Amino acid sequence: MAVISLDGVGRQFETSAGVVDALADVDLHVEEGELVVVLGPSGCGKTTLLNLVGALDAPTSGRLAVAGHDLTGISGGDLYRYRRHTVSFVFQNFNLFPGLTALENVRFGADVAGRRQGEAVAEEVLAKVGLAERATHFPAQLSGGEQQRVAIARALATGNPVLLADEPTGELDFHTGVQILGLLEAQAEAGRAVLVVTHNREISRMADRVVELSGGRVVSDGPPAGGRAPAGSLRW
Amino acid sequence: MARLGLWLRWSLRDLRARWLQVAAIAVVIGLGTGAYVGLSSSSAWRHDSAAASYQELASHDLRVDLAKGTTVDADRLRAALRATEHPGWIEATTVRLLVPVQVDASRDGEPLLVSGRLVGVQLDGPGGPAVDALWSRSGRALGPSDDGRPVVVLDDHFAAEHDLRGEQELTLGGSVAVTSVGSAISPEYFVVAGDGATAGFFGARTFATMWTSLATAQEVAGLPGAADQAGVLVAPGADVAAVQAELEAALAAALPDAAVTVTPLTEQREYRRIFDDIDGDQKLFDVFALLVLGGAAFAAFNLVGRVVEAQRREIGIGMSLGVPRRSLAVRPLLFALEVSLAGVVLGVAVGWWFGTALAGLVERVLPTPVWDTAFQPAIYVRGVLLALALTFLAASWPVWRAVRVTPVEAIQVGPRATRGGGLAPLVSRLHLPGGSLGQMPVRDALRRPRRTLLTALAIAAAVGLLVGVLGILDSFVATVDAADVELSGTSPERVTATFESFEPADGPTVRAVGESAEVGRVAPFLRVGGELAAVDGRERFEALVDLLPLDDAVWRPGLVAGSYDHDRPGVLIAQKAANDLGVGVGDDVVLRHPVREGTGYRWEESALPVLGVHRDVYRGLVFMDLADASLMNLDGIVNAAQVAPVEGATHEDLQRSLFGLQGVAAVVPAGAFIEAVRSGFQQIMGVLQLVEVVALVLAVLIAFNSSSISSDERAREHATMVAFGVAPRTVVGLTMVESALVGAVATVIGLGLGAALLGWLIHVLLPSTLPDVQLDLAISPRTFLLAAGMGVVAVGLAPLLTLRRVRRMSVPDTLRAVE
Repeated sequence: MAVISLDGVGRQFETSAGVVDALADVDLHVEEGELVVVLGPSGCGKTTLLNLVGALDAPTSGRLAVAGHDLTGISGGDLYRYRRHTVSFVFQNFNLFPGLTALENVRFGADVAGRRQGEAVAEEVLAKVGLAERATHFPAQLSGGEQQRVAIARALATGNPVLLADEPTGELDFHTGVQILGLLEAQAEAGRAVLVVTHNREISRMADRVVELSGGRVVSDGPPAGGRAPAGSLRW
Repeated sequence: MARLGLWLRWSLRDLRARWLQVAAIAVVIGLGTGAYVGLSSSSAWRHDSAAASYQELASHDLRVDLAKGTTVDADRLRAALRATEHPGWIEATTVRLLVPVQVDASRDGEPLLVSGRLVGVQLDGPGGPAVDALWSRSGRALGPSDDGRPVVVLDDHFAAEHDLRGEQELTLGGSVAVTSVGSAISPEYFVVAGDGATAGFFGARTFATMWTSLATAQEVAGLPGAADQAGVLVAPGADVAAVQAELEAALAAALPDAAVTVTPLTEQREYRRIFDDIDGDQKLFDVFALLVLGGAAFAAFNLVGRVVEAQRREIGIGMSLGVPRRSLAVRPLLFALEVSLAGVVLGVAVGWWFGTALAGLVERVLPTPVWDTAFQPAIYVRGVLLALALTFLAASWPVWRAVRVTPVEAIQVGPRATRGGGLAPLVSRLHLPGGSLGQMPVRDALRRPRRTLLTALAIAAAVGLLVGVLGILDSFVATVDAADVELSGTSPERVTATFESFEPADGPTVRAVGESAEVGRVAPFLRVGGELAAVDGRERFEALVDLLPLDDAVWRPGLVAGSYDHDRPGVLIAQKAANDLGVGVGDDVVLRHPVREGTGYRWEESALPVLGVHRDVYRGLVFMDLADASLMNLDGIVNAAQVAPVEGATHEDLQRSLFGLQGVAAVVPAGAFIEAVRSGFQQIMGVLQLVEVVALVLAVLIAFNSSSISSDERAREHATMVAFGVAPRTVVGLTMVESALVGAVATVIGLGLGAALLGWLIHVLLPSTLPDVQLDLAISPRTFLLAAGMGVVAVGLAPLLTLRRVRRMSVPDTLRAVE
């Protein structure tokens, strides 16, 4: 059963130049444990798609459901609940809280999701991303790759079934990027639905499926050309 | 020039982008500037108006006073005034008779029995006397046709206080009916005078001064042809000191039996009080305005600092393009200048409004015939320059720091640009309740310790202002309460009956008082005026000397040191007097006192030991044993009595009983002065509440500005929280907790600042403007609560104003924004 279901979803924006279709008639279904990369150039609508799934934005047409929640016409309070218990984000620029340590940043994810033993969960997840020894460091004391690993750990600490990553390697060097992608891959293998948006075609090689967008429409949807490659074999 | 135009346009765009924060800072600067120029203008107006009013009413330059309770023939006094060596140096003279009276101004069943003074004046023309003319405020003025008639005009302060303007029927001393035909003010009564050493502004409620013709006053007093005071107007160009010396010589020669003093206007208490009050108030105003401006400067520093921080990358780009640092500083400096200018422009408007409001208040409370509210350009220029300099300099510091970094530091973006944790690491191991969300307010407050401290200092300035202002009131109230406890003592319902003249201790008035209804106990005593001085003469002040039967008094002062026992004459003085004179029990002080000689009195100075230090807060109250009246050659003579009622009777019963008794001039309850002071405080409460509001607005504006700027800076953090499902109200709630924490720190600093300010006011400023009263520093629980309420609650609530912005924030756009 699909965790993420988009049926004929559209998103229009009104601008001074008129109405712009950021997304039009998008059909997309993502299963549990599936890693899907949404690929496309700048302005193709991939981030809009991610925002819709993350309930940061609402579709203007079609039907959108995630983990059994129909997001079409969902109320404000339910939206916040949905975000706390269903999806979690990894951002291109990490968006860590600079006043909290690495461990506290991770614990934030557990806390907002209402998980018990938040401290223990945070420690466990931080260890999983290989940063147990950096737990008491503040973001400013961490490298970019470490910050992104903390951001992933924060998303994992929520325990939510859907992981949304927006250009997760955009700020990182190649080696660090590969490490991060490996972590995301591991999450899909652990049963989460992982949706990654990127403009980097090489990254799409690690996906179970690649959904290519152009002009707000899905132009292709299928496994990567040449078959799925492990994250460690990627080069860019 | 073209480049400057670019910087100017750019800085104006910065201004527009942050218009709400700029407006808030401008209001803060405006309040500070406005407070300074408005309050200073009102001081200038008061100064100019008082000086012009003295001139308008032909105020005397020298006043001749006879010893209390003594009179001379009015014609002899006039002749003595004319007998100076250079009569041409004197433009005009007037003689008066001051008669202490009891006044019954009851109306429509409402009893109003007060002490008063009937001032018999020469009715030289339609304005009354030629010297010290009367300024008619209601009804009609006294004229020559009123000579000898039972017609008076009331002091306008008293008339206004009791709604007695217009024609009124009054009874003096229980039997003399007079008609008040109007109300007026005379130069010596611009600031209300009362009776005795404790007279002052608060006398308006309890003391009735009336003017009538000299003949009428003589008739009421039963002293035909008598006078006890004269006013002398010195001719233009004549030297006042020289005229004083000639007058003293002439009076000594013409009236050898009379104890006469000649005092220049500028040394008279009523005159000094007006100008000392203005100078003292101005010092107070300066401190208030500087506190507000200080808060504004901190706030401006914060705002510009954050604007510069936001321009960090642009400054870095400029550096990497080779733009000189001084040029890069132009844009933020222009921004700072524009913020300061907006503030002072607003300040000019606030100042005009503030000054006008204050002038209206002063004019109502202390009316004078000339009220000059001319625009004070020098004060405005000074205020504007001060505010501009203070806020601009405060804003220049972060600009200077910003352009001193290396280009690579300024231009850095991405993870390396993430700012450090400030002092947050210090509490990273401290377990705070509430999980990661619970940690955030403390961590965020400590993340930028310098900025947090500056915000706290700005708010602390407002809290300090509030504590300082309300603390003055608390200290006054505490002082009055202490005085109340001391004066009431074991006999709170007692009254002091002052006699019309000296008489033997077993004389007819004392007997009549003792035989009156409701009278329980009578203790006659002697009250004289005098001066108390240090032996070395370096400190000297007026004194009211009560010679009480210390072993048998209805009431005697409580002592904090020494004892009533003595084997030679000595004095009981107030703690404040002991401090000011630098003496303690057993040390000598000099008492200047009258000595009866023939039918008159002369002044003499006696060195007397301090027997004890009493609890009264008023410096001028001196007590002696009645048995030591021989020092003044007044053995067995009294002129007043302490009277206690029979059990169950009140002071009002006593007043009614003694009112109109032959020989009794005034009957004053022990608590009358305290009540008058309390009533006076109620009048100034409105002004203090205004200051409370200004301080509150100031604190909230500063807190709002800080929250608003923080909200901008932390937009991405807030958006991240929202993306993780934290509701905007929780996000704002966390900011509120942080703001309340900063407010709590500010409150602690503000309380310290306020206490320091209050200490300076109580121990440095007020002793020079209010030297006669011992004020003890006190801050009431109410003030603490108000300060905490303002500093913590109001400041904590300020971020609520940003809730709408957080709700309307575009989370996707904010999350993707880089710097």
